[in-house]
Amino acid sequence: MLTHSTLVYALTQYYFLHQKVTHGEESFLITLDVNGQNLTANVSDGNTPLLWVLRDLLGLTGTKYGCGIEVCGACTVLIDGQPEHSCVFDVSSAVGKKIVTIEGLSAPGTQNHPVQQAWIKNQVPQCGYCQPGMIMSCVGAINAGQHGSEILSEVQNLCVCGTYQRVRDAITTSNL
Amino acid sequence: MAIDTRNTFVQKNEKKHQIGRRGFLATALGGLSVAFVMPDAGRMFGLRADALTPTQLANSYVHIGTDGSITLMFGGSEMGQGIKTGLAQILAEELMVDWNQVTVQQALVDPTVTYITGGSSAVSGRYTSLRTAGAAAREMLIQAAMGVAGDSNRANYTAVSAIVTYAGPNPVSPKSWSYGALSVAAAGLTAPANPPLTDPANFRLIGKPIQRVDIPSKVDGSAKFGIDTWFPDMVFAAIKHCPTIGGVLAATPTKPSSAIAVVPCKASDNRGIVAAGSVNAVAVVATNTWLAKNLANSLSAKWTLPASTASVDSTQLSAQAASLLATGAALIAEPAVPAGFTPSSYAPVIEPLVNSALGTPTVDATYTVPHLAHATMEVLNCSVRLTYDSAKTNVIKCEIWTPTQAANWVAATAAALINAAQTTPLAASNTIVNTTYLGGGLGRKIEQDYVSQAIQVALVVKRPVKLTWTREEDMGHDNYRPMAAVRVQAALNGSAITAWSLRNVSAAILGQRGWMAPGSVDGQAVEGAVSLPYNLGTSLTEWVPLPAGIPIGFWRSVGSSINTFAVECTIDELAQKANLDPFVFRYNLISDSRRLAVLQAADNMSLWRKSLPAGHFWGVAMAEWNGTIVCEVAEVSQPTTTSLRVYRVACAVDCGQVINPNQAEAQMQGGIVHGLNAAMWGQITFTAGKANQRNFNNYRMIRMGEMPKITVQLVSSNNPPSGLGEPAVPPIAPALANAYSRLKGSRVRTLPFFPGATMGDL
Repeated sequence: MLTHSTLVYALTQYYFLHQKVTHGEESFLITLDVNGQNLTANVSDGNTPLLWVLRDLLGLTGTKYGCGIEVCGACTVLIDGQPEHSCVFDVSSAVGKKIVTIEGLSAPGTQNHPVQQAWIKNQVPQCGYCQPGMIMSCVGAINAGQHGSEILSEVQNLCVCGTYQRVRDAITTSNL
Repeated sequence: MAIDTRNTFVQKNEKKHQIGRRGFLATALGGLSVAFVMPDAGRMFGLRADALTPTQLANSYVHIGTDGSITLMFGGSEMGQGIKTGLAQILAEELMVDWNQVTVQQALVDPTVTYITGGSSAVSGRYTSLRTAGAAAREMLIQAAMGVAGDSNRANYTAVSAIVTYAGPNPVSPKSWSYGALSVAAAGLTAPANPPLTDPANFRLIGKPIQRVDIPSKVDGSAKFGIDTWFPDMVFAAIKHCPTIGGVLAATPTKPSSAIAVVPCKASDNRGIVAAGSVNAVAVVATNTWLAKNLANSLSAKWTLPASTASVDSTQLSAQAASLLATGAALIAEPAVPAGFTPSSYAPVIEPLVNSALGTPTVDATYTVPHLAHATMEVLNCSVRLTYDSAKTNVIKCEIWTPTQAANWVAATAAALINAAQTTPLAASNTIVNTTYLGGGLGRKIEQDYVSQAIQVALVVKRPVKLTWTREEDMGHDNYRPMAAVRVQAALNGSAITAWSLRNVSAAILGQRGWMAPGSVDGQAVEGAVSLPYNLGTSLTEWVPLPAGIPIGFWRSVGSSINTFAVECTIDELAQKANLDPFVFRYNLISDSRRLAVLQAADNMSLWRKSLPAGHFWGVAMAEWNGTIVCEVAEVSQPTTTSLRVYRVACAVDCGQVINPNQAEAQMQGGIVHGLNAAMWGQITFTAGKANQRNFNNYRMIRMGEMPKITVQLVSSNNPPSGLGEPAVPPIAPALANAYSRLKGSRVRTLPFFPGATMGDL
């Protein structure tokens, strides 16, 4: 099935593998396992944080920039199942690992992840900007075997809208 | 309320402005299109929204397609307040359809029409105009059915679920018609000026906790915020302002080899010592944002600093404010200045009277609050794609994607910059402003600085470009909530206040923009200090303008975030002096029934305060904001050196007619957290022109484990909706301060409670 996201992947892959590198000095192709797909990006520096490779080079904009100094958690993704702050995670260190972003939490056309369902049921987001990171942090805690309020003690993401109470309600009332 | 009574107005207006897609929607799609004005945040211009005139050009459209589709096109901004859902509920109510039959879309933006979203007006300010437009469309569809049935007796028709049904005597068949089928005939009719509105007793949708339409996309990563704008051939820009406010670029720095371009950027507007047109920033363009940011940070840019830099300093400004508080010439904000006087000439007349009534005041205290950053989660950003003519000299189309609270200003910014660079003007209809989702607005995203910079960069690189501010630039170059000093003096006789004097010293947001006449009182500076509900005896409210070079702007609840702190702490202190419970003290001083009802609700909600554990204390405060009344009661316990534990907040609110109680509750929770962050830790200090706090690590906010349990009660009211975005903010700082003072045994008069707090890594 040709979904919007697979189309975006195809277009970006075509573009980045065929573009002439007209700027910058050395650049090289790097292949990442993102949401179960091998995606290739043309990076100029292996120290580039994964966040910017996802957002600027692969067009996967669900993962957000908030602070760049791993204080706010908006950039949280799962790497080999663990929540990581992609704003400080070198892309070269992500090679060979399984990266899951908010776009890959539930496959297109399938049911939402239980955390996403709980978020809709409890009407958690306000502006919604921090929520991909908030959700990935919760999923990471669940993956690590945490339940209910244990999850909440792991989740320190910043939400300027102040949705914490509904996050708490969503987690504790949804048998997560 | 202004409705355009001629739907043909749409076409006429479009011809004049040659608006492209809007014309397409109104004509090529066919069907019925009703143009109308949804009032915006008129208060930004010193106008009330309801003061807007019917001659203002339409900024919104209700369209009924021949296929039955129902679309509301509007120019407002979704920044977390649930505007798309709330407006769909209101329109669907009057159109007699289900709320999910309505699609809410962003309208294309005409720069001559206003679409400001702010002042808590997003849903409330649009309520009556939208209901009227919906009712007008419904009545036009019924009129069209009358033409088919040949019976003009309105009583013989009903509209339910987008179908008009005829129950009269004429033998027509069929006896019901879909809105789509009637839409073409309806389009030929004249819209009624005063269509009958649905009786609130019969509301099906208004007041119901309908789930928000944007939330599914906000949990799966598909919602597009401005910062998510992306094209495969896009380049990425980072901005570096002169670190010292007011500095100007001395020479264009050398382009680093790995940069695509280095672009000096001019300031878009006058803000304090930043002059419009001065080159106060430089953008670096690269193949990704991180690279662009690193290159921008390592540029060896030379800046020429203004002579006044040293005075752009929080310590000096505080001293200046203290001096003005004591001896500055004041402008009278309240009582009303009599004929023959000005706000300044009246001061020497009334001050002695009030001073005499005050005698030796029972309380005489000065409250101070700092500058605050907006710190929206989504940093400032703007994406621009320019299309050039075949000679590649003239821009023939400008497309912008940006999180903005003022789409029409974005269009105007683009037109000014582009038309200054070419002789053939860019057609207004070819400036396409796409208002994306906003990752928080909070008043910051009404400004044009980031938009202007992105357009300037696009004009140089001639490629699609996204400009993103780093968090450090966002926090270090904000239009800040102004600092202020407020002195309150009050005299008590038994449980009655006999005299009251409040003097606010702060810089004028509107004044800094040249939006108010010199010598007049900045209404926003004294918000929360005038029209107080208490019987204050002989009273006076004054404002002394503080000349300030620091750019200042609209921050959620604006002046009320300052004055409510001073007023409600003073009321609490007076209650203590009178040996009265702060609820009882207020009951004695308030006569307004709406406020009394809110106070009573908060009282009943917080009975827990009468049996708190040892070491726990409570405080209460209330505020009115643009017609919405809020009372908050907070429970706190012993602080650490950097924090105060807030256990509970009970919040009672009367916001008039509630559109969506689920979202009303969310806005109150959000406002309380916003005000709590500011009260406990929020401050931006300046040293020699530089902001000292540049990222969340030293701009602390609460996290999950610190979240109090907030309970919200919506006090029923038949008043029109009065807005929810801001009103929860002002009372929380004084509620906390009043609780904290009982805990400490002495008054806290300076915010934040814990200056210098930091926030560590996750």
